[in-house]
Amino acid sequence: MRLIQKVEQHFNMWAILSLVFIFIILIPNLLIGYNLFTEPTDNWAHIKEYLLKDYIYNTLVLITFTALFTMIIGTSLAWIIINYRFPLRNFFKWGLILPLAIPAYIGAYTYQGMLNYSGTIQYTLRNTFDIHVSSQKFFNIMGIPGAIFIFTIFLYPYVYVITKGFLENQSASLFENARLLGGGPFTIFFRAGLPLSRAAITGGVVLVILEVLNDFGVVSYFGVQTFSIAIFRTWYGMKDLDSALKLAGILMFIVIVVLVLERIIRGRKTYSYSSANFRPIEAQPLKGTSKWLAFSYCSVIFMIAFIVPVTQLVHWSIMTWDRIFSPEFAKLIYNSIFVASIASSIIVFIALIVGNYTRLHKGLFPKVASRVIALGYSIPGAAIAISIITLFVAFDGVMKSVADYLNLNSALVLRTTLVMLTSAYIIRFLAVGYNAIEAGFEKIGTTFTEASRGLGSSTLKTFFRVDIPMLRGAIFGGFILVFVDILKELPLTLFLQPFNFSTLATQAFRYASDEMVQEAALASILIIIVSAICIFYFHKVLDKEKS
Amino acid sequence: MNKALKMILFTILSLGLVMLAACGGKEEPQTAAPAEPEVQAETEEQQPEEVKEAGEVNLYTSRHYDTDRQLYDLFEAETGIKVNVIEGKGDELIARLNSEGENTEADLFLTADAGNLYVAKQDGLFQEIQSDELFKNIPANLRDDENMWVGLTKRARVIVYAKDRVDPSELSTYEALTGPEWAGRVLSRTSSNMYNLSLLASFIELNGAEAAEEWAKGIAANLAREPQGGDTDQIRAVVAGEGDVAISNTYYVGRLLNSADKGDVEVGEAVGVFFPNQDTTGTHVNISGVGIIKHSKNVENAIKFLEFLSSVEAQKVFAEGNNEYPVNPDVDWSETVKSWGEFKEQNIPLSILGKNQLEAIKIFDRSGWK
Repeated sequence: MRLIQKVEQHFNMWAILSLVFIFIILIPNLLIGYNLFTEPTDNWAHIKEYLLKDYIYNTLVLITFTALFTMIIGTSLAWIIINYRFPLRNFFKWGLILPLAIPAYIGAYTYQGMLNYSGTIQYTLRNTFDIHVSSQKFFNIMGIPGAIFIFTIFLYPYVYVITKGFLENQSASLFENARLLGGGPFTIFFRAGLPLSRAAITGGVVLVILEVLNDFGVVSYFGVQTFSIAIFRTWYGMKDLDSALKLAGILMFIVIVVLVLERIIRGRKTYSYSSANFRPIEAQPLKGTSKWLAFSYCSVIFMIAFIVPVTQLVHWSIMTWDRIFSPEFAKLIYNSIFVASIASSIIVFIALIVGNYTRLHKGLFPKVASRVIALGYSIPGAAIAISIITLFVAFDGVMKSVADYLNLNSALVLRTTLVMLTSAYIIRFLAVGYNAIEAGFEKIGTTFTEASRGLGSSTLKTFFRVDIPMLRGAIFGGFILVFVDILKELPLTLFLQPFNFSTLATQAFRYASDEMVQEAALASILIIIVSAICIFYFHKVLDKEKS
Repeated sequence: MNKALKMILFTILSLGLVMLAACGGKEEPQTAAPAEPEVQAETEEQQPEEVKEAGEVNLYTSRHYDTDRQLYDLFEAETGIKVNVIEGKGDELIARLNSEGENTEADLFLTADAGNLYVAKQDGLFQEIQSDELFKNIPANLRDDENMWVGLTKRARVIVYAKDRVDPSELSTYEALTGPEWAGRVLSRTSSNMYNLSLLASFIELNGAEAAEEWAKGIAANLAREPQGGDTDQIRAVVAGEGDVAISNTYYVGRLLNSADKGDVEVGEAVGVFFPNQDTTGTHVNISGVGIIKHSKNVENAIKFLEFLSSVEAQKVFAEGNNEYPVNPDVDWSETVKSWGEFKEQNIPLSILGKNQLEAIKIFDRSGWK
């Protein structure tokens, strides 16, 4: 009897749906894993001898420092914005998310375009001030430090958004108590704020790390030898899929280590509302020097990560406008928004189901499930693309035979539709939506859900009446992150696009990959504008609902 | 009660998912090519005759220039044949073609490197092209020996030098750049770039693997800085004084000279273009080329399209648009290209570039050229 109850408890609707989704996510991973343990080829010895050490070293340096800097910047910004009032705070609240709208590789091209010899800065120095720079050392951004800089300024919003969303819904009493106990602002931050937000912060940092591991654009342009470079070089250059898969396996291992570390940092304790006596944090006005310090800090970050590159891109857009602009841009905008909103909605939906399931159930499966979700994010985009295409070719074949059998004169060919591309987006970006929503679930805890269940409501009713309203911030946050990510996404879109289907990102890539960054500016600006509108809109919606 | 509710929700959710997926599918005829048989069948029933006859041609291309698009539009206007395009990187498109196999919708594969063409041929992706007009327009040395692909434009990889610091009389060959007098003065992008791989592949053919490795080691030792950026960045670095010479394709110089940015024009004017190895093996030349996919369903249209691309009219657009060299001998070079003068080209079958690619990668890795 108890066994049956137990089984029922585990294999309800949530479990079944979660299982299905996780299986779908796992497919490309399994396809890669399947080939992993083959005999090494001749090339493998060569890779091991000449490349592996550099690749691992560079990759580790890159992710360690990027993680560190994004954590410092993202967390501190979130903390200041939530707790204090200072000039332009309401603008910074959402404005500081905007750098996320700039694809990192466009950011890299832009900064290099500004800093190089014929770029704006040196050109102005030379022709306006007659200063001739003798050493290019101070203007050289290409290389590992430059790559860390680019990743930090364009990826910190992951940490900022998730941490801010978390703090926004923390009960003020926690920090008031700390203050009453005599803690200064720094003590409160380090003793209460930081430990409490641990899950949110690490969730954001993990996304940053995964994004860096997967980047190809920035590192290939800057000449930094990383894993993703190695994988492409082995796969396409040496035509050695087996060795490429081995490298992908090592990359997955690094990702698993990162995910385990995240768990350890997060710790076993969960922090969530303990009482219904919930009052959001009231921001305190800052005075004097500290007011301007907070303002300057936010301004400087905002300038470097958004205003400066955007200004340069606008300048280039104006310069190339007459050659580049065509009515086709309207179609590109439509395509980009259309495919991104569909994929983001599905991702949020799946994340909610799996998130709710893993939160309410203990045991190995839910635990594994919540980690497997992130794996799609760890595989290089092109590898996902290959397994997806293989899958759809097979699926279309089956559909064709069914159609033939039923004597239909045509079968649905999914490969030429957006279904294939959308599926790839879901597998790739589920982690982004999931991390945001999981942090939200963690925050609300299970107390209210249990109370609701105790009063006789079903899980489902509770989910809609209690959980969803409390999760609104996390849902919107997750949606924006995914939406903006897909808007910028490149390798999958390039690989799986149907005929005549271009997005703003592929348009920007067309030019940038051919060293025509000035011509790429217009498409880049449009990506940024669309993302900015989304970020602004969702911010407004959220704010309105709160008041 | 509980269970019933769950069942209902499950159904709703599943339906929702299916509908979303269907939405994605339904949108397809607007956003994507009507390439699937379903739509073609409809076309046959409903559309007037001439539209059916004109048909379409499906192109996978790794060239992303606006002039190329102009050519597709021109062809469409002239013949009524619709050109459907998927753009991507050459090697990725090959991977896609391989995984699609005989189910592919592609008719043509166009790419900016002879190495990729060789690989595509090795993978059995191409079929033999049969067209007298095409062979009349494109010289034999710019076609595959079995006519599996044809070249459409040529590009030369040369030495770009700082006019104020380097006297062209100091320059002679690619090999000479490994000499001690060039220590710390040479600039290049990373060795994993296709252009560098093809360059080294040509040396393996012309001078042997050992000499090629010596060359790669010599350049690696003489580099002014770690390889980074693209060819344009190397040219800028020459002008900025980080090094004195750069290995680069010619059209990047042409692009700088014709740029809307004053700073870039300044850079273009400050460098000279030197065609190396004129007294020995000739300057390295690569091509953009195209082949017809083995499982193509629109072979006739594909051939018509290729004949158009090799015509004087189209070749002119190709050559002007990106400052490349036309393959059709009847077509004039652009003014910018003319200003660099005539030169002697490497005389090797271009498929060699693909054949030696793997060896080139390994040599670069051993040489320390990052």
